[in-house]
Amino acid sequence: MMNYFPDEVIEHIFDYVVSHSDRNALSLVCKSWYRIERCTRQRVFIGNCYSITPERLIQRFPGLKSLTLKGKPHFADFSLVPYDWGGFVHPWVEALAKSRVGLEELRLKRMVVSDESLELLSRSFTHFKSLVLVSCEGFSTDGLAAIAANCRFLRELDLQENEVEDHKGQWLSCFPDNCTSLVSLNFACLKGEVSLGALERFVARSPNLKSLKLNRSVPVDALQRIMMRAPQLSDLGIGSLVHDPESEAYIKLKNTILKCKSITSLSGFLEVAPHCLAAIYPICPNLTSLNLSYAAGIQGSALVKLIHHCVKLQRLWIMDCIGDKGLGVVATTCKDLQELRVFPSVPFGDPAAVTEKGLVAISMGCPKLHSLLYFCHQMTNAALITVAKNCPNFIRFRLCILDATKPDPDTMQPLDEGFGAIVQSCRRLRRLSLSGKLTDQVFLYIGMYAEKLEMLSIAFAGDGDKGMLYVLNGCKKLRKLEIRDCPFGDMALLTDVGKYETMRSLWMSSCEVTVGACKLLAKKMPRLNVEIFNENEQEDCSLEDGQKVEKMYLYRTLAGKRKDAPEYVWTL
Amino acid sequence: MAKEGLGLEITELRLGLPDAEHQVSVVNKKNEKKRAFSEIDDGVGDENSSSGGGDRKMETNKSQVVGWPPVCSYRKKNSMNEGASKMYVKVSMDGAPFLRKIDLGLHKGYSDLALALDKLFGCYGMVEALKNADNSEHVPIYEDKDGDWMLVGDVPWEMFMESCKRLRIMKKSDAKGFGLQPKGSLKGFIESAAK
Repeated sequence: MMNYFPDEVIEHIFDYVVSHSDRNALSLVCKSWYRIERCTRQRVFIGNCYSITPERLIQRFPGLKSLTLKGKPHFADFSLVPYDWGGFVHPWVEALAKSRVGLEELRLKRMVVSDESLELLSRSFTHFKSLVLVSCEGFSTDGLAAIAANCRFLRELDLQENEVEDHKGQWLSCFPDNCTSLVSLNFACLKGEVSLGALERFVARSPNLKSLKLNRSVPVDALQRIMMRAPQLSDLGIGSLVHDPESEAYIKLKNTILKCKSITSLSGFLEVAPHCLAAIYPICPNLTSLNLSYAAGIQGSALVKLIHHCVKLQRLWIMDCIGDKGLGVVATTCKDLQELRVFPSVPFGDPAAVTEKGLVAISMGCPKLHSLLYFCHQMTNAALITVAKNCPNFIRFRLCILDATKPDPDTMQPLDEGFGAIVQSCRRLRRLSLSGKLTDQVFLYIGMYAEKLEMLSIAFAGDGDKGMLYVLNGCKKLRKLEIRDCPFGDMALLTDVGKYETMRSLWMSSCEVTVGACKLLAKKMPRLNVEIFNENEQEDCSLEDGQKVEKMYLYRTLAGKRKDAPEYVWTL
Repeated sequence: MAKEGLGLEITELRLGLPDAEHQVSVVNKKNEKKRAFSEIDDGVGDENSSSGGGDRKMETNKSQVVGWPPVCSYRKKNSMNEGASKMYVKVSMDGAPFLRKIDLGLHKGYSDLALALDKLFGCYGMVEALKNADNSEHVPIYEDKDGDWMLVGDVPWEMFMESCKRLRIMKKSDAKGFGLQPKGSLKGFIESAAK
């Protein structure tokens, strides 16, 4: 029946379909829908920048306005991928600029971005509005200055956890005086000083500014003036909250905060004196999101006291110095909590920090919880079974026991039954990270029950090839599989090679696969790029088939072998 | 014993100051951290002793293996205490009600340090101290690895960075009690900063 409608009507209907996967499904129905979808698609997500060429993207979606790109493998975050592996954005910006696509939004993650790229980006797209850079590197404040100076309609500049070279330039001053369009500005990850005068003037002339995240160089008195000029802010990141509680600046800040009615999200506190926290208590009751995962200065009772004021939290990111008792307070205070992340405050965890007790308390008090990232010292099967029963709505469950192979300390058994309970009870689970002592049994459970699982991270687990096969056979929707230090070998890799074309990528490091198996896989599956990292300089001449592969990264691609691979990356 | 005495001495000198209580609590916190660290060591030892020879090696290796625990590099650099404890030192100033922390690694020399101290404690008279070196009421000193209090500026910057555990900006009148004689070197330090 739909086919009786003229194209204009179908186009109009398609405009209401916004999810990437739904749009993808529409384009598969028939040639007519493929064509209509192609011309009306404006937002594209590419999970691996090497899976397709920029030229092919532009040909396929000429009306492109918003692009999200990811570069390096996830394990780059943990220093397992060499710095110069790849993930360069410049070819993409060049191709987009050349084709005169009307790009308005660009979101990048784990990509190498140069000042040259930012300069070209800033000059090539008349209505460019939004730049989001997450975990990127390679650029400096000079590139930001170009964005500020040239993007006349900029609404969003969001810099999260990037490594930025700070040339102590006046990049903020490069925003022209008639730039009033900004809605969101985040420079918390910049290290250097910013021009406070320029920042305050900029905030004053931005009536639509809703989100502002400052770095640690912005002092309390400037913060106070900013908050006074921008009472409409709903998302605030405080860089520094250190001052004499008797000082005029602090008293002014307290008074200004009393007038702020709009703030629902708070983050930062990169530098903080605990006795200054009382200033922000008045806005805590309205907070739905609180990120203190970089607030190393807030610990113990000060942290607990702060959380006592936050009764509406839906999202909480903290450090493990909150302790199990502190998590108990979260459980009794934050009944609407949906997402919790607990990060370690010292590299190998503080034994006095959080354990299974804290997680059980949370599961009892926060039944709406559906997303968890939890670094802890130990975990038990009994606790995981309790958590699975209390919170069956988990979509993301990431557990990281700091001792990677620790068994259940109560029973000395592997944690198979605990994770088994999680996957059996949480049928909507899409992301899972395992840790602790585990055998193949846990993978059998995952293969049997985790029907919607899309991303799985495995470390130091399993007994042999069967474990990996359970996962590959059972998890029909699996997109990303990350494996390190597991005894999975050639048989596991080669048994179901067609599976990899349905996935985005597979990472295996410190496992039992050999060069020969990887070669065979690459030969069988020409639309997969199988990359082996040979970082050992002594062996750069040849790779023996029987040799074990230290790191292997495999991804499906329509673009073939990439041309920008460094010497030590062999694409088979 | 010597260290304890030194601690008591410092506390005694601060009697009547508004931050006396705070100072004591800071000392307590420091002690707590030390105990925690010892516990970590003990934990590792226990694990080693409880397992066999081969397992011991494996356990040790795994606990130190690259990329574990999976905390992203940015976070490691920017929020975790190990990084902080490397270069960050506490700075106290007599008369100021709270301590600050300063990252020595971000500074290239004594001039940078003096300017940073000025920025941190400017409202408590550091500016005056810098401008009128001869009449300065304050003397910057630091505790070195051996637990001795030393005058800032006496040794090369790199050596200072390596051995400095914490800083204190002390009233000149109290300096005599520590056996410190601020003369030529201090003058040079302050003059270079005041340029």
